[in-house]
Amino acid sequence: MTLKEINKKCCCLAKKVQKCAGNSRCNRQGHQGPLSENCQAGKVKICKITGDRKLCARMASLGVLPGEVAELLCPQNSSQCLLKIRGGTLSLDQSTSNNIIVQSV
Amino acid sequence: MSNPSVTMALAGNPNAGKTTLFNELTGAKQHVGNYPGITVEYKEGFFSHENRKINITDLPGTYSLTAYSVEELVSRDFLTNQQPDVVINIVDASNIERNLYLTTQFLEMGVPLIIALNMMDVAKDRGIEIRADKLADLLGVPVVPIIARSGKGTDELIRQALLVADSTRVWEPRDISYGEDLDEVLMDLIATIQESSFLTASHPARFTAIKYLEHDDQMLTKGQKTDPEVATKLENIVGTISDHLLKTMDVYPEAIIADHRYGFIKSITRQGVLTHKYDTDRLYTSDKIDKVVTNRLLGPVIMLAILFGLYQFTFSWSELPVAWMEVFFGWLGGTVETTFPDGPLKSMIISGVIDGVGGLLGFVPLIMFMFFGIAVLEDSGYLARVAFMMDRIFHLFGLHGSSVMPFIVSGGIAGGCAVPGVMATRTLRSPKERMATLLTVPFMNCGAKVPVLVLLIGAFFADHKALYMFLFTMLAWLVALVAAKFLRMTVLRGEATPFVMELPPYRFPTLRGLFIHTWERTWQYIKKAGTVILGISILLWAMMTYPGLPQSQQDLFESERLEVKNSFSETIRHELAAFDGAQRQLSEKAIELKHGLSTIEQKESAERLRHSIAGRVGSFFEPVSSYAGFDWRTNIAMLGGFAAKEVIISTLGTAYSMGGVAADDAGTLGQRLVKDPNWNRVVAVSALIFIMFYAPCFVTVVCIAKESSWKWAFFSMAFNTLFAFFASVAVFQIGSFF
Repeated sequence: MTLKEINKKCCCLAKKVQKCAGNSRCNRQGHQGPLSENCQAGKVKICKITGDRKLCARMASLGVLPGEVAELLCPQNSSQCLLKIRGGTLSLDQSTSNNIIVQSV
Repeated sequence: MSNPSVTMALAGNPNAGKTTLFNELTGAKQHVGNYPGITVEYKEGFFSHENRKINITDLPGTYSLTAYSVEELVSRDFLTNQQPDVVINIVDASNIERNLYLTTQFLEMGVPLIIALNMMDVAKDRGIEIRADKLADLLGVPVVPIIARSGKGTDELIRQALLVADSTRVWEPRDISYGEDLDEVLMDLIATIQESSFLTASHPARFTAIKYLEHDDQMLTKGQKTDPEVATKLENIVGTISDHLLKTMDVYPEAIIADHRYGFIKSITRQGVLTHKYDTDRLYTSDKIDKVVTNRLLGPVIMLAILFGLYQFTFSWSELPVAWMEVFFGWLGGTVETTFPDGPLKSMIISGVIDGVGGLLGFVPLIMFMFFGIAVLEDSGYLARVAFMMDRIFHLFGLHGSSVMPFIVSGGIAGGCAVPGVMATRTLRSPKERMATLLTVPFMNCGAKVPVLVLLIGAFFADHKALYMFLFTMLAWLVALVAAKFLRMTVLRGEATPFVMELPPYRFPTLRGLFIHTWERTWQYIKKAGTVILGISILLWAMMTYPGLPQSQQDLFESERLEVKNSFSETIRHELAAFDGAQRQLSEKAIELKHGLSTIEQKESAERLRHSIAGRVGSFFEPVSSYAGFDWRTNIAMLGGFAAKEVIISTLGTAYSMGGVAADDAGTLGQRLVKDPNWNRVVAVSALIFIMFYAPCFVTVVCIAKESSWKWAFFSMAFNTLFAFFASVAVFQIGSFF
């Protein structure tokens, strides 16, 4: 079994558990939602940055701006993640990725 | 005529190669790691170029010049207050877009600028081609391609930088358009600033206006202090536009400013400056590795395996050189024993210097291998991934992701130092998270504790050295995190702050870099052993030697000796006196006499040590320390450890060579401890726990006081010592019960 398959299975398992508990937290394809709830690696379009002014400013200076397309490298499902944007790789903690509203593309 | 002395500043994004270039130019060998945030304060160095003396400053890595972090504040204040003749902006050619974001702010600030386009080799490997001449034309500043790691292009860079420093060009701030709405407001702000000469002595009016729009805390405070009336007027103008933008576009002005800056950069790079040979969307090798190495399932397993592998490598490869060092110091001690006449000088050299400092220097090969392993992890960029993976755990314990670096610097992978670790907490913005980090980093296994751990683990758990070392490192992390959680739930209660960090790409460490880092850290260890520790060792030897036994007691031991001697015949006494140890065997009776005399010798040595100042102090604490299994000699070593943790080994070496074991069957310190009736595995674990967690060394305490206050410094001493003592007592009492 490849790593991709293991990951996929884990994510699916997590999805099933969450569905059972009536608490599905994975963004659906094409729908907007916090970056932290993206279960699949791949391209995302940044829709909005929420949170306090300082966080918005910090994100803006790092090039995380609405309209930008980034690549989610390591989705950790409701936790921190790695986001490849403007040629660099950013590690974001959960509170930050909760405030980045994205849409899968 | 050109100025014979020139000041230069190196500025750029984290991991762009500033410190590498700094080292290349100055040979200062400042520590460089492939980890963001190595330089918290600026570092200065000197070098000469064509008979010109150049004073160069390495500034901390920043993404912008807005006061979002300590690094940004340090850099901006330096540029404003020191006004260097030229600023060398290091730009990572393989990630030019993000790096030029900072460049736009230097241009807006109007500082004399030159761009060093670094990592051209990495860019080439990624299929990125950059036309430096075109970039220079469009930005209006010189651009020099370089490879800082190999030194390629650095001569040309300095030549061009000197031309900038010598030129009479007036550096006007560059105007970047921020869109109709903001440009109009900027004009209003600039007019108000210029009318009242508000902060114009230190910053261009447009720069101040932009910082007001960006809601820069430091600039707002400075403005209120300088001229509250004008500052309030500016704040009102900014407040109106901010409200308008928030209502109409749901963004703050700083987001629009950043967007336009990136737009400006794109407009430049798209004019033939940047061409991509491959698909720009493709994942680089670094990203592919990250997908595996930071995977939520495999990541932690790989991390633990690497950590365990590091210890395995360190112990297995250093075993032979450590044995050679032991043999060498054994030979040295033997030589002094036979060549020097009996007396205080001989005792000081053998017990104070050779057994004390020699015991410490014996670990140099091991320390060297460990530092080499850590340098590989750091320079390859893996340590930054460790920080990323640890962030989630740190949050659970009330710490910040940025706390990971101070923990690692302090000895998270064993072998660091708490002093730079405490200083590295400056990168944390939240005072409570910073304080919790600052108070718990001394729990890590610093380079000074490693030899103690190695000694006790090697002596009592010789079969599984690497495993026990790994377990004790994990224990240090666990205790530090639990202590942090306790502090965050009690005296340091407060909100958590977000953690964002750019991960550097994986790089093959250069052999030169690895050797430099390994040697730097090893040399620091040797230097400390040869200077501070030597001094403390001799002082403690003196405290363990004086005052000597009173004459009445000496006479008592002498009469005991006579009594034993007299119980044997004249022939036996002559046989032992003539015995030179090698040429022939002693008779049974002579061996018996020798043993009897040696027992008295041991008793006298032990009594002499107990009677000394150190012995009395150690004995004073013995009624309490015995609950943790420590005798008075161990107490002396623990007290010595307050000065520096390395002293524990040297003091144990001195105490156990002076008090009790006959010289001919002494062996190494580890062997002496194993033979000592007061030591066993339970005592060893209890001692290890106490040593790992009790009060930080004196230098760290001073550093904590400097970074916070003496109140917290004393708190850290008392809190750590009490915790360590109760933990040791628990281990000893429970362990002895079984």
